[in-house]
Order: sequence, then C-alpha cells, then structure tokens
Amino acid sequence: MQIQDIVSLLFKPYIFVPLVFPGLITAFIVLLIIIWLERKIAAKVQLRYGPLYIIKPLGGVIQTVADLIRYLFQEPIIPRDVDKLAFLLTPVFLFGLAYLPVVVIPISPSYYAFRSDLSLLIALALTTLAPIFTVVMGWASNNKFSLIGSVREGYLVISYEIPIFLSALSMAILYGTLDLVEIAEAQKEIWGILLNPVAAVNMLVLMYMSTSKFPFEIPEAESEIVAGPYTEYGGILYGLVMGASYVKLYLLSLVYSILFLGGWNPLPQSMLSNPLISGSVLFIKSFILVAFGAFLRAVYPRFRIDQAISIGWRIALPLSIISIFLSLILVIGGVRFVC
Amino acid sequence: MSVDRTLRHVKAIITGAKYLFSGPRMTIMYPDEIEDLPDGYRGMIEYDWNTCIKCSLCAMICPADAIKMYISKEESEKEKKTVKRPGINYARCIFCGFCVDICPTNSLKFSKIHDIAYYTYDEHVLPPEKFAEGIKPMYKGRKVRAILDERRGIKYEPVD
Repeated sequence: MQIQDIVSLLFKPYIFVPLVFPGLITAFIVLLIIIWLERKIAAKVQLRYGPLYIIKPLGGVIQTVADLIRYLFQEPIIPRDVDKLAFLLTPVFLFGLAYLPVVVIPISPSYYAFRSDLSLLIALALTTLAPIFTVVMGWASNNKFSLIGSVREGYLVISYEIPIFLSALSMAILYGTLDLVEIAEAQKEIWGILLNPVAAVNMLVLMYMSTSKFPFEIPEAESEIVAGPYTEYGGILYGLVMGASYVKLYLLSLVYSILFLGGWNPLPQSMLSNPLISGSVLFIKSFILVAFGAFLRAVYPRFRIDQAISIGWRIALPLSIISIFLSLILVIGGVRFVC
Repeated sequence: MSVDRTLRHVKAIITGAKYLFSGPRMTIMYPDEIEDLPDGYRGMIEYDWNTCIKCSLCAMICPADAIKMYISKEESEKEKKTVKRPGINYARCIFCGFCVDICPTNSLKFSKIHDIAYYTYDEHVLPPEKFAEGIKPMYKGRKVRAILDERRGIKYEPVD
C-alpha cells in the first residue's frame, strides 16, 4: 500500500511537473541530448561526423553521458584567491533559477503544478534572476576573463530584457490574460505566431540572446576571453554552469511554445484529458526550438558586443513596441478570444 | 538596408540547412579506412641488411643527424676490422630523403608507413639490427583513394 501511495504522490501535478515532466529529469535528458545534437549538427554542416564511437549505430548518442561521468570524477579545483562561498554557491543558484520557471508551466488545461493569474510574468521574472548570479560569479572568481565576461553579460541583460518582456506582454495584451493556461487555450483556432509574427520573431531572437546561443555567444566568447564567467570552474561545477544556459533555453522555449506555437494545440478535446500526450506535443515544439538554437551555432560567427547591444536597443526594442501596437490594433479591431 | 540584411540572415540559415540535410562528408574514418598513398611517398625508411656496403654516406648527408653509424661487434671480430652499419633515430628524422637518394646500392628505401607511435623516447632510436627488421603497419584498415569530385570536393573510393 505504501508503494502505491508513493507512486500516486509522484503523479500529483505539483510533484510530477517540476520534478519529472517537463521539469528536472526531462530537462536533464534534454541537456544531455542537446549538447550531443549541437556537436552533431555543427559537424554535419561542416562536413564532419562529430562524436561517433560510443554506440556507433546510434551516432554516439551517449557521448555526453561519458563527458558527464568525466566531469563528475574530475577534481574540483578551488583557486586560492576566490571568494569561496560565492564561488561554490553561484553555480547551484544559477542552475536552480534557470529551471525554476517550470513550476508555472502547464502541460494540459487541467494539469499544472501551480496556476496563477500572473504565471507568464512569474516565468519571465524568474528567468531574469539568473544573470545576477553570472555577474556574482565573475566577481567571485577573481579573474580578469571572468570579470570581463560577466560585465558583457550585464551589458547584454540590459539590452535584451526590456524587449523580451515587451514582446511577451504584447501577446498578453492580445489574449487579454497573463495566465499561461488561458493563453494556450486561446490559441485553439489560430496560433499566436500568425497573429503577431513581429513579436514571435523578436522574442525568438532575444531568447537565443538571453541564453548566449551562438550569434550572441558573447559572455563566453571562447576565442577572446577563455570561457568568460566560467573560466575558473572545473569538474561538476562547470557542468552545472554550462548546463544552466541550456536549461534556461529549454524553459524559455516552453514558454515560447505556449505563447506563440499554441501550447498543446492542435490536439482534439478527447486527447487533452491525458496530460502526457498534451505535454509531449508541447515538449516536441520546444525541443525543436532548442535544436534550432543548436543549429544556429553551425551557421553564425559571433557578434561583437556593440553589435549585439545595438541589435537589442535599435532593432529589438522598436520591434517590440511595434508588436505591442500590432496587438492593440488587433484587440481594438475586434479580435476576441474565448477565455 | 535592414531588409537586405534580414535576407542575408535567411540565406545563411538556408545554406546551413542545405548542408545539414544533404551535405557530403569529407572525413576519412582513419583506423578503419587508410588512405592509399602515391608512389614516392616519403614514409619511414626501410633498410636492407644484405645489400648495404657500409659506406657511411647516409650518415654523412643526414641534415638532422638522425642516421648514425653503429659499430657492429660481431662483424668487426669476423672481418678483423671496424665495421659500421647505420641506425636511425626517428625523434630526429625529418623525412627529407637525402639518405635514400645518396645510397649507392639502394639499400635505404621509403616505405608508405608513417603512422607508428612509440611509448618512450628510447624506442625512437633504432640500432642497425632493429632498423633492418623493417616496419609493420599499426592498423589494417580498408584502403581508400582520394578522388577530386566536381560536386563534392574530395571523395574517398575503396581501392580493390
């Protein structure tokens, strides 16, 4: 009886969503697969093979597991001059905060860990907390590369944060709600990306910018400043800080799929009762977005910091204001959603 | 201006996607496939014990001091005079081929093997007896030949 109790407790939404799907365990698997996929895609575009020898028929898919084991058993080196407490705690906070927005993400109209009128705002606000720890990390490392990297992160944060909020909120204006469940339900007929493509494109680019994916891989900039804020880290601590940006991208992709790609639509009403099916639809959409971010690495070189900031202020900010006006015009013009 | 830029971004992504789904691969799967090397390839050097006339020309011409003459004790006792034979140090050899060119009896020849690894520094030094043993290839993979292809660039075809 006790085992049954534990199993039924595991499938309670407030445990299952943050812990299993689409929460911690799924995020972890996505993390392992996406790093392998990123190397594989970059290799294919550059006419190479990429990781191959571990399980050759599957294309070396568990290469990242081997890497993880290596990270786990590597000696964690703490340099003498670092601020020890901040140095050790920031990776944990960074990873934790990157994955925290999952608590408000619904995977079906009736299956969610935590429903709030303001869940879109909560998700976005939680993602904005992580860069603070990147800056703290750069300061605590007592290394010039870390400091330069974290200052670059600070520059980027102020240039992407405002437009990303504005373009997400323009969709909230359009749907007339900040509740992610209602937002997804409002897209039964037509998806948000078709109603407001300006906001969709804008938020997609800013999403990759906020997780330092390739055209905006400026804080890490391997050829310039070693690994940016992560320079002094090694072993599993480096695994955590490197994983944090991927997990953040995965979480933002979940929010993006709910905002613009219709969430669990277009599923028929009868299948919505099973949260695993509707969750899988949402998961596949967001996984494609993450994989596209991995693909961009093979296409783009890195922007300079001033180019990225000018994209943030000169292009993304006006576009997000345009998207707000577009939403207002649509709302005033009589587009209404059943909520 | 900005429209032009956006178009170029789209073009870059489309090119990337084209290579992602249909691009060729230029990697040669090295230990499984080994490239067939052309004649005259300057690999590691083979030494013929019997045709060597012990003239020391190879040791004299060697610009990197890789080839040295070693006194052969057995032969010296037998012939009642100092007999020297060449030995090679692969840590010094630059594979210039001077020794092969100057050898009057063609006792030194190039092999087509270049991929031998040694564990210690001392193993690089081959005295005459070891030098004469010859070199065995480390890997026995499929032999492939590089072919220039109009569309794909480099292509590898198996040699039969």
